[in-house]
Parts: sequence; structure tokens; C-alpha cells
Amino acid sequence: MFETLFIGLSLTSVLLLIALGLSITYGAMGVINMAHGELVMIGAYTAVLSGIYLGFNIFAAIPLAFLTAALLGLLIERVVIRRLYGRIIDTLLATWGVAIILQQLIRLEFGMTFFGIRIQGLGPGLQQMRVPSYLMQPYEFAGIMIQPYRTFIIVVTILLTLLTWFLMYRTSIGVQIRAIMRNPQMAAACGIDVRRVSAMTFAYGSGLAGIAGVLLAGFRTVMPEMGANVVVDGFLVVVVGGVGSLLGTVLSAGLLGQINGIVSVLYNDIIARAVVFAVVIGIILWRPNGLFSFRSR
Amino acid sequence: MSNKAFLLGDRAVYIAFIVIVLGLPLLISDVFWLNRVARYLVFGMLGIAMALSWGYAGILNLGQGLFFGIGAYMVAMSLKLQSWTSLQQGSDTPVPDFMLWNAQPGAPTDLCCIVPGSWLWIPFQAQWFGIFMAIALPVIVALIIGVTIFRLRVSGVYVAIITLALVLLTRLIFIDAQPITNGFNGLTDLGWLTIGGVEFDPLMIETYYIVAVSVCIVLLLTRWLVSTRAGLILQSTRDDANRARYLGYDVASYQIFFFTVSAAIAGFAGLLFVIVSEFATPTYFDIAFSISMVVWAAVGGRSSLIGAAIGAILINTIEATVSESEMFQQAWRLIIGVLFVLIVLYMPRGLAGLARDILTRLVSLGRTKNPDAANASRNPAE
Repeated sequence: MFETLFIGLSLTSVLLLIALGLSITYGAMGVINMAHGELVMIGAYTAVLSGIYLGFNIFAAIPLAFLTAALLGLLIERVVIRRLYGRIIDTLLATWGVAIILQQLIRLEFGMTFFGIRIQGLGPGLQQMRVPSYLMQPYEFAGIMIQPYRTFIIVVTILLTLLTWFLMYRTSIGVQIRAIMRNPQMAAACGIDVRRVSAMTFAYGSGLAGIAGVLLAGFRTVMPEMGANVVVDGFLVVVVGGVGSLLGTVLSAGLLGQINGIVSVLYNDIIARAVVFAVVIGIILWRPNGLFSFRSR
Repeated sequence: MSNKAFLLGDRAVYIAFIVIVLGLPLLISDVFWLNRVARYLVFGMLGIAMALSWGYAGILNLGQGLFFGIGAYMVAMSLKLQSWTSLQQGSDTPVPDFMLWNAQPGAPTDLCCIVPGSWLWIPFQAQWFGIFMAIALPVIVALIIGVTIFRLRVSGVYVAIITLALVLLTRLIFIDAQPITNGFNGLTDLGWLTIGGVEFDPLMIETYYIVAVSVCIVLLLTRWLVSTRAGLILQSTRDDANRARYLGYDVASYQIFFFTVSAAIAGFAGLLFVIVSEFATPTYFDIAFSISMVVWAAVGGRSSLIGAAIGAILINTIEATVSESEMFQQAWRLIIGVLFVLIVLYMPRGLAGLARDILTRLVSLGRTKNPDAANASRNPAE
């Protein structure tokens, strides 16, 4: 029983990690960022590459991936998303294009493939990130087998969620972000620099995706298309939780993660995912604005 | 004046399209290429379905592959039962080969009970049933989805997310029902479509004509449909659903109707695709495929039926010509990504919008320059 719940909990934390950044960008800015999964992928590749070329371990890779993904997010915001505020469906389409571009850049090793140059750690193949052995060795605690890496993910997720909560609800920039969520024009009228704050919010959300990528790289293979698989899950969590609600995102990640965990133990992974999709569709039909929501832009 | 020019231009494009599509076998004698073109015409039909639901109804369906896939599987089941892989399994009635591989030892070699659920295949022994279901089932599914979501006034992004989740759900179901759908591998080694004793080999010119004529008919029918009163009301619900509601129109009914029509077209496209490609796989339910349909429609022009069709055909033809080498294929995907971002940013109305802008320029140019041009032509004569 406990082990089933623990599996559900670790699934929850992965979902939450991906959804956290998405919830901020979608909630605060009304941007459906289909490239979020690719930012996760970039985070994972940052971990792989920094491991190969700089000898970084997972702990050093986390801040580096945060920075890389955040800068990339800033670039995407400046070049593409800035022109599309208020056109929500178009943000979905344009960021889908961005997602393809990022995937292909990794696959083609930033174009180096054309010159016959191969870069270790890039390309269309599978990559592996090395995880310190003390994070991989399961140990027994009070008669229960504990996977240290899973525990590590859960702890990092909790820390990041707390940090995000603190930023959003206890700092002046958080007040500004929440004001923009409620009503961007009014926020601008009150003297908030909406463009600057939006750009920073987007960068922060992207950075969180980068960290999620590093943690995912520890137990999944790293490949160019890894992001496409996670972004849909992230969206389902955000939509079920309610746009712009941190609490809603946490609870819906918990709900979907646990359903996935329990059903996959009882039946199999495919049925589990099917049940999750069915639950999500049901919840959207029942409460189109999500479990926790206020009206936003 | 310019309105008249648009109408003329529009007509000219439609006529040119139909003439080219029907006359292509005169230009292309290579049957393999003709077969390829037939596939892209089917994708063009998907572009039309997308433009109808996205451009005209404002319903962004990210799960159009659902209807395409269902249509494809329905007709593929019938054609599978007609192929030699099903007929020569040592049974009086046809049994798909993969069911034998999955069957429990000692199970009767009959569709009724060889594997659990195989009785679902029994009616598909008649080819007309598969063809009928290829349209009917997408319509039924679309009606159920449409009634549920549009009556509840779900709109915008939530429609996109629900349809996306649905197509993923269906994909999982089809893969999980491996004993009766052959899972990841899908239905291959299919027989040929047979009408009145004539077998339609996918490489025959007649098969190309089935597809070409179908695409032209669908194009003209949808064009007529959006110009009817219902089509105009639909466009008003897209622009402002609340206002249409206040004017007394039952918005949901119009949305359901056009969503279903779009699904029926997609199902029909699935049917035709199986006839020319001879396989049906769960990849039809991939998100990437459904989103490519959106890309085609966006490139061609989301609010132009023929624009979306041309966008789909153009992109796929270019893709086929550059995919000769693996590296170009990857670079092409990169180009598609860049192109798509640029089109969303700078050309939201796609190729059709561009064509319209150029026409406007020409018309206004012709109007102001006309006296000068007349003078210029007179001068040398003097």
C-alpha cells in the first residue's frame, strides 16, 4: 500500500515539476507554451553535456539548467511570444513551431551535422545522465524500501513549489505578477511594467522546466523527442487544477499522479494513462475552468 | 469592384485546382508518383476539414486524427478480411493472420471466438459495411463529443485540450486492444477495394481518379455549405458566440453540425487513404499527425478551404521531394518549424491571405494606372 502511494507520489512530483512552470506562464500570461516540453528537454541535455564536458554532477547541473532554460525562455518570449499576447490559440501554434525548431537543433547538433562534425551528447540518439551511486542504491527504512532518487525528486519538487509560492505570494514581484494575472490593463495603469514582468515570469517558468529536465534525465533516457511526451501531461495538470492557481496545480498533480500510480499497479500503464485522460476530460466538462480558479484574462 | 475581382480570382483558383487535379494523370505517367499524389490529395481533404472546423467554426480540433484514424481502421478491417492473409488460414471464413498468432491454443479458428472481442469483426466481412462505418462511426463519435462539449459551452482552448486528450486516449485503446487491432503494428497486407467485380489496385489510374474526384466533390460541397445561411450563421458564432446567442440562434447546434461534417470529411479521408496506402496504424492517432493538419491549414490559410487543401498538398509534396536523404529530411523539419513560426507571426491568413493581398494590390494598381497605361500604349503608335 505504502509503496503504491509512494510510486504515485513520485509520479505526482514529476508531473508537478513540469506543470509548475507551465501553470505560471499559462496562468500569468495566457500563453500556451507547447515548447515547454522542449525546455524540459534542453534542461536534460544541459545536464548530459555539462556532465561530459565540465564534469558537473546532478547538483551542479540543476542551477546551470535553470539558467540555460531561463535564458532560452527569455529569448523565445522576446522573439515570438511578445508579439502574440492576447492571441492564445496563436501562441499554441507558434510555440509548436518553436518546439520543432528546438528538437531539430538538438538532432542536427546545431547544424554541425551538415559539416560532418559530431558532438558527443547531441544528435538523434539516446543519451544517459550519470547519477551518483548513493542516489541510486535503495535502502531500507523502518521496513520499507526507499528509492533515494525518487525521494530526491520529491524533496526538490517540494522545495521548488515552496520557492514559487514564496515568490508569488510574499514578494513585490509576486504581487505584480498576480495583478497582471487578474487584469493586465489595470496592472499597467497602476504603473506595473507589464512587459518586463511578463518576460521575467516566462523566464522563471522556463527555468523550472529546465530543472524538471535534469531530474527527468536521472531516470529516463534523454532524447530529442522526450519533451513532446511530457508537455501534454503538464497541460492536463494545469487545466484540471485551474489556470493560475498554485494550490490547484499541486492538488491536481497529486490527483492525476495517484490515479496513474494506483491504476498502473492494479492493471497496467496503458490503462492507467487511459483512466487519467478520461478523468481529465470528465473534470473539464464538469468544471471547464478547473478545480480551483478565478476568472483571469 | 474589388469584390468582383475577389470572386473572379476565387473561382479561377477553384477551377484551376480541379482541372489540375483531374488532368494530372496526363502529365505524370509514373504510377508510383501518381499514388503518392493521391495520398497528398487525401491530406488536402484533411486540410479542408481543418479549415471548416478551425477557420469557419472557430473550433480548433487538435484531435482530427481521431476521425481520420477511425475511418481508416473501419475500412481497413474490411479490406483485411478480403486479403489472402485472412482467406488462407485453414478456415471456411476469413480470419486475420495476426489473430491466429494471438489465439489461445485450441481456440476455434473462427471470427466468433478466436480471440476475445473478435466477433466485432464479423460484420466487416461485407465490404460495404466497412465503407459505411468509415463515415458513420466518425459521425457518431463526433456527435457524441460535439453534443457533450458544445451543449456545455466549452470553447476555445478547452476544446483543443479535450480533443487532444481524446485522440491520445483512443490511441492507447487501439494499442491496448492488441488481439483485435494488432496493436502498434496496425493492419497491414490489406486486400484491394472491389466495386462491382472491379479490383482497385492502388497503383491504377482509376484509383487515383476515385481520390481526385472525391477531393473535388468534397471541396465544392464544403464551399457550398459555408455559403448557405447555416454557414453564415456559423461564422457569426465564431466571431461572437454571445451576440449570436442573443440574436436567437442556437449556437451549439451549428457548432455540433459543422464539427460533425468536419469529422465525416476526416473519416472519408481515412477511408481513401487506406485504399491508396494499404495500411492502417495507430500513428494516425499520434498528436504530431493531428497537429500537422493544423500546420497545413495554417500555411495554406486557415479561413480558406482551398487554401488549406493546397497548403497540405504543397507541404507534403515538398517534403516527399526533399526526403530523399535523411539529413535533408531533418533540415526540412527545421525549415517547417521556422516557416510555421513566421507564418503565425506575420501571415496569420496563410497563402490564401497572401494571394488575396496581392490581388488587392493588382486591382488598385490597375485602377490608378489605367489611364497612364492607356496613354503609354497610345504613344508609341503615334
